[in-house]
Amino acid sequence: MVLSLFGARLIQLQGLDPKAYAAKANAESLVTVPLPATRGQITDRNGVPLAETVAGMMIVADPLRTRPHAEDIARILADRLHLDYFDVLDGLMRQAPPGKPDIRFAYIARRVPATLATATVAAVTNAGFQGIETRPDPLRNYPAHDVAANLLGFLNSDGVPLAGLEQTFNRRLAGKDGTETYEVGGGNRIPLGENTETPPVNGRNLTLTIDRDVQFYAQRVLRTAVQGANAQSGAAIAMDTRTGEILALADYPTYDANDPGASPSNDRGSRALSDVYEPGSVEKVLTTSSLIDAGKVTPMTRIRVPSQLPVLNHTIHDYFQHGNLRLTMAGVIAKSSNIGTVLATRQFTHSQLWNYLDAFGIGHSADIGMPNQTRGVLPPVDTWSDLTQATVSFGQGLSVNALQMITAVNAVANGGELITPSLIMGSATTASGDLVGTAQATRRRVISAQAASLEARMMEGVTTQGLGTAPNAGIAGYRVAGKTGTAQEVGATCGCYDGSLDVSFSGFAPADNPRFTVYVVIKKPLHGGTGGGTAGPVFRKILNYLLQKYSVPPTDTPPANLPVFW
Amino acid sequence: MSSLLSPARGTRLPRTASSAVERARLALVPVRVSRAPRAPFAALVLAILGAGVVGLLMFNTHMQQGAFYATSLQNRADALTAREQSLQMQLDQLRDPQHLAVAGRQLGMVAPATPAFVDLATGKILGKPTPAGPADGIRVTPLPAGLPSPLRPKPIIVRVLAPTTAATTTQTGTHTPTGTGHASTNTGTTRGRNGAATPAHGAHR
Repeated sequence: MVLSLFGARLIQLQGLDPKAYAAKANAESLVTVPLPATRGQITDRNGVPLAETVAGMMIVADPLRTRPHAEDIARILADRLHLDYFDVLDGLMRQAPPGKPDIRFAYIARRVPATLATATVAAVTNAGFQGIETRPDPLRNYPAHDVAANLLGFLNSDGVPLAGLEQTFNRRLAGKDGTETYEVGGGNRIPLGENTETPPVNGRNLTLTIDRDVQFYAQRVLRTAVQGANAQSGAAIAMDTRTGEILALADYPTYDANDPGASPSNDRGSRALSDVYEPGSVEKVLTTSSLIDAGKVTPMTRIRVPSQLPVLNHTIHDYFQHGNLRLTMAGVIAKSSNIGTVLATRQFTHSQLWNYLDAFGIGHSADIGMPNQTRGVLPPVDTWSDLTQATVSFGQGLSVNALQMITAVNAVANGGELITPSLIMGSATTASGDLVGTAQATRRRVISAQAASLEARMMEGVTTQGLGTAPNAGIAGYRVAGKTGTAQEVGATCGCYDGSLDVSFSGFAPADNPRFTVYVVIKKPLHGGTGGGTAGPVFRKILNYLLQKYSVPPTDTPPANLPVFW
Repeated sequence: MSSLLSPARGTRLPRTASSAVERARLALVPVRVSRAPRAPFAALVLAILGAGVVGLLMFNTHMQQGAFYATSLQNRADALTAREQSLQMQLDQLRDPQHLAVAGRQLGMVAPATPAFVDLATGKILGKPTPAGPADGIRVTPLPAGLPSPLRPKPIIVRVLAPTTAATTTQTGTHTPTGTGHASTNTGTTRGRNGAATPAHGAHR
């Protein structure tokens, strides 16, 4: 009798709808928790984290339960979490419009460090209030705030990368989340109960060639200069001459990667990589070193420089008023004479100059793994006129970004061998599937070692007191090679020169055995400015810091002191 | 060979056969009534059963205890991990170059303008040691931001007729702390002057 009752129940349980019962039983006791993969760190070349993920928590409220004591709870939360009292109060008192179901969930604070979050919630509970709890919320932390922010990028509140390296190398950094399912009774895991686990695969770290301290210093020096000149923006890049590794890539304006929303969106990319402009006189380094390489000139070549030079229907001037000058080639560089450069370049055919500039990487993009890199413009040689050749020879009529310019100048510093720049140590795969990094860097010879060395000697004149255009870019005791640049900026609307300037400075030291190459560009200083006066001091300070930090002593060789006049 | 041995065996065979026949003969097995008591056996079984149940219970309890302990240890480990990370974050904040730069500035430190080194092996000085001056300093903190627009009210311009009203205004300014009734009549003018002062202050910063 009893057995048949049991039998009937058995048929009911097992025969009629076993799956529903099994699911019900699982829902009672089985818990599935996501095991979030830890996002990889982004570190500088010394392993100092620039971006890291720490255990964070969000603090959420159940407004239905917090409303009666909202003021008291808000005071505790606002005090401990340094939040705005009224914002917290709003969250705690949130009410659904009439007729809608009650709101049971409101964010109070997100990405709070775990210890602070649990201590705060404990304080609220101890004070006798209910309805505040914590939930895990992985926290992406940028310990140095704005340092290298333009390179790193940032994540939105859902953890989706929106810019920079975080975006390009997301696949490497993100890893893969896992899950764990187990049985729970009274809050404790039941031993020998059901338990399945898919372990998470943590993201891999990304090491940059950036040196955080140099990056910080470069950013502060650049900011001081851009603000001092009331300029629109600026960029500074420092590179290891021998390896092409980027030690610092500073942009201003920049933003705090921990709070990207506080800055306008155009400030969150890297202008050094995305903005193109005419390089101005810094380009003369490429033109003259090509001329030396082709055997057309030497630093001692004598050039008669008239006060102005008509080319086709235009007249070319120098930035300073002068009568007829008798300058050597070295003097043309030291004094930054446009006319002298144009006259020397007349020994080249159009395609000869074009081929050299093409070999220097003008008009080619060097992928370092950042989104929105531009490639600049080197007009095709069949469109060139004599005027094009003339203006291109001193840096107008072609456009580059700051990284291309430093890469080209670095080829001169590195004995004539161009090294593709890199930002990533080793190698890593970008979102588009390309391998980038120091392991992928290539070298190719652009000019002879002899030509590069002569060019460096000519560039020393620029920073020499009493000779060159930028004596305040020199460092006492060191041989510093440099070149100023002042270019007219093409206006956004008219497609013509609108009167604003880009001032720049590029160079390397020690001139006879270069270790570091630095390039600085400051865009649209309000009251004009010169490459030597505005960008030169930024160059000197960054270079000075590098020489000091990496303990590069002076070479103790006599300076070039090439004659400027004849 | 068997034929050789057979005479010797022939003498023993009948004796063996007879005993086998003797043994093969069936007989009724006498009923043996077991006199062994049942109680000890039942007790033994019960004891084993009891011990099993108790053992299982204890084992289970032990496992549960272990689970509780594991949970509490796990919670502690989580808390400690979180604490370690918080401390790590604090350490990162202290190591932040910005923090160090500001601290250095407060001590009056300036980055030198010219690198110079002492070669420890030879005691030789490399480079030209030059003292750093104030001009070598860089600004490490951002420029102060202007006041947000709600705190920068438009100046309230109060047009006053030249000589007589101006005199009253200046007088009210000095009298305000003492004569409350008098001040209330002139609040408009007083506030106007404050409003005009605020943006000027903002611009000065």
